[in-house]
Amino acid sequence: MPDPAQTATESEPSRNGFVIRVQNASKVFQTPSQANLGALTGIDLDIRAGEFVTVVGPSGCGKSTLLKLIAGFSACSAGRILFQDEEVRGLNTKVGYVPQESKLFPWLTVEENVGFGLSPKRYSRADRERQVSYFINLAGLSGFEKYYPAQLSGGMGKRASIVRALAYEPPVILMDEPFGPLDAQTRMVLQDELLKIWEQKRQTIVFVTHDLVEAVALADRVVVMTHRPGKIKDVIKVPMDRPRNIFEIHRQPGFDEAYSRLWTIFRHELNIGAH
Amino acid sequence: MPEEISQTRTQGTSSDTGAATAAKSPLTMRGVTVTLLRTAIVVGFFSLWEIASGRWIEPFLISSPSRIFSSMLTGFTDGDLLQHTWVTFIEIAIGFPIGAISGIALGYAFGRSKLLAEIFEPIIIALNGIPRTALAPLFIVWLGIGLWSKVGVVFLLTFFLNFFNTYTGMRQMDHEYVDLASLMGVKGWKLTFKVIFPAISPYVFTGIRTSIPFAVIGAIVGEFVAATEGVGFFIRMSAGIFKTADVFVGIIVLMIMVIIMDKFAAAIEKRALRWQTQTEHIQIQA
Repeated sequence: MPDPAQTATESEPSRNGFVIRVQNASKVFQTPSQANLGALTGIDLDIRAGEFVTVVGPSGCGKSTLLKLIAGFSACSAGRILFQDEEVRGLNTKVGYVPQESKLFPWLTVEENVGFGLSPKRYSRADRERQVSYFINLAGLSGFEKYYPAQLSGGMGKRASIVRALAYEPPVILMDEPFGPLDAQTRMVLQDELLKIWEQKRQTIVFVTHDLVEAVALADRVVVMTHRPGKIKDVIKVPMDRPRNIFEIHRQPGFDEAYSRLWTIFRHELNIGAH
Repeated sequence: MPEEISQTRTQGTSSDTGAATAAKSPLTMRGVTVTLLRTAIVVGFFSLWEIASGRWIEPFLISSPSRIFSSMLTGFTDGDLLQHTWVTFIEIAIGFPIGAISGIALGYAFGRSKLLAEIFEPIIIALNGIPRTALAPLFIVWLGIGLWSKVGVVFLLTFFLNFFNTYTGMRQMDHEYVDLASLMGVKGWKLTFKVIFPAISPYVFTGIRTSIPFAVIGAIVGEFVAATEGVGFFIRMSAGIFKTADVFVGIIVLMIMVIIMDKFAAAIEKRALRWQTQTEHIQIQA
């Protein structure tokens, strides 16, 4: 049985070390006016086990759609996505998903939410309790176990939402602009906590954001996407050491270099978006 | 600029409206005024009724509060009013739960199965177009003048309201909850009762509570058409022999029945929806 205190689930790498392989994936939406709306075209992306990848792009570029395809919420219109060498067909229950809004189940308490994905088949009662209290503690929510989500602040809800996805230890976590609506301070604190958790657990994380600083600060690699229909424009390696200090990320060697490369690419996209 | 102020309070049930809250806080000036005025209106109405009866209007037309009160006492002590009430109660106690549960179950099934919904939706809507009380005589023909024809009418009136509310809930529900839970590997029984039903529970309770008065209407209509006992029978009989006071007694009994059932449902609803302690957004226009 998994012991949360130890290094949690290894992201089972496939033979070549990639957990997720997006191969020439496209997504076309049918709009009510019958016109086809291309959301993604020809996406190729390989993600290694244990990697922290961020995806940036102008709004409406299909970043979230990419996550939805990996999670199996919707199917690719063309191309395919391999997850641990198997093609994603239907819901991919091996990923954890953190949506834009917290989307905690409002009728469950914090501890019930966090424990919701812990199936009785995989976790004994004792394991389950240990796992839940460990993650509640990790999220700084001790003392709030019996609270309902409506009674939490935005930041607390966010943290609970993140550990809900972590608690059942899926090898890959997909995060869709999880810190979007939060204020700058709360955001930084949560980024810091997320990195700390990740450094302990080393799951694979795919993190969508529209914030360039956030993208560089968190990632091993930043995927830059173009305006609709979304394509991958470039992938930037972030040469910063870990652990990183989120609060003084600007001073860390490597940040400027990565950020200005990202900005050069991104500026071009913004120009297109503006006209 | 509209400014948003969040304020947290336990959201009550639908009966917990602003007016009720004002009356529940008797310490404020406004609360006192509201309570006083309300009492004055009710007392005034009954006094006027009492005075008018026999002076300006024939008592057999409108009876009077004092006559109704004494009729009620005698009805319950040595009459068979208790028996009539019991009969009507049993009709509802059988028909209502069956109607509510099957309505909720079918609403859920329609929400889960697109195929089912596509096939049956027009049929259900057509059936809903029938004024259902008009079917009461048919039920008498099919099920006789006893208990079961009334149970049938109660079922019919309860079923559709619960079905439509639950089905609306299934369509309005935030599907991301179901997706997230499914992604977490949750399915079957747990998905249904830990995710879907809680998500639609506000709609389900609306269905249950709006159908309570209709369940009583169903029983009464059934008894009006053909019966040998029950409050509906009692009312019709009393009206036929101009015992107007007894008619009012029957009406009051029904009213109390509805109120008790609603209070009971409200208590369950409050308990089931206690997680709805939520932030209310109040718009203030500056």
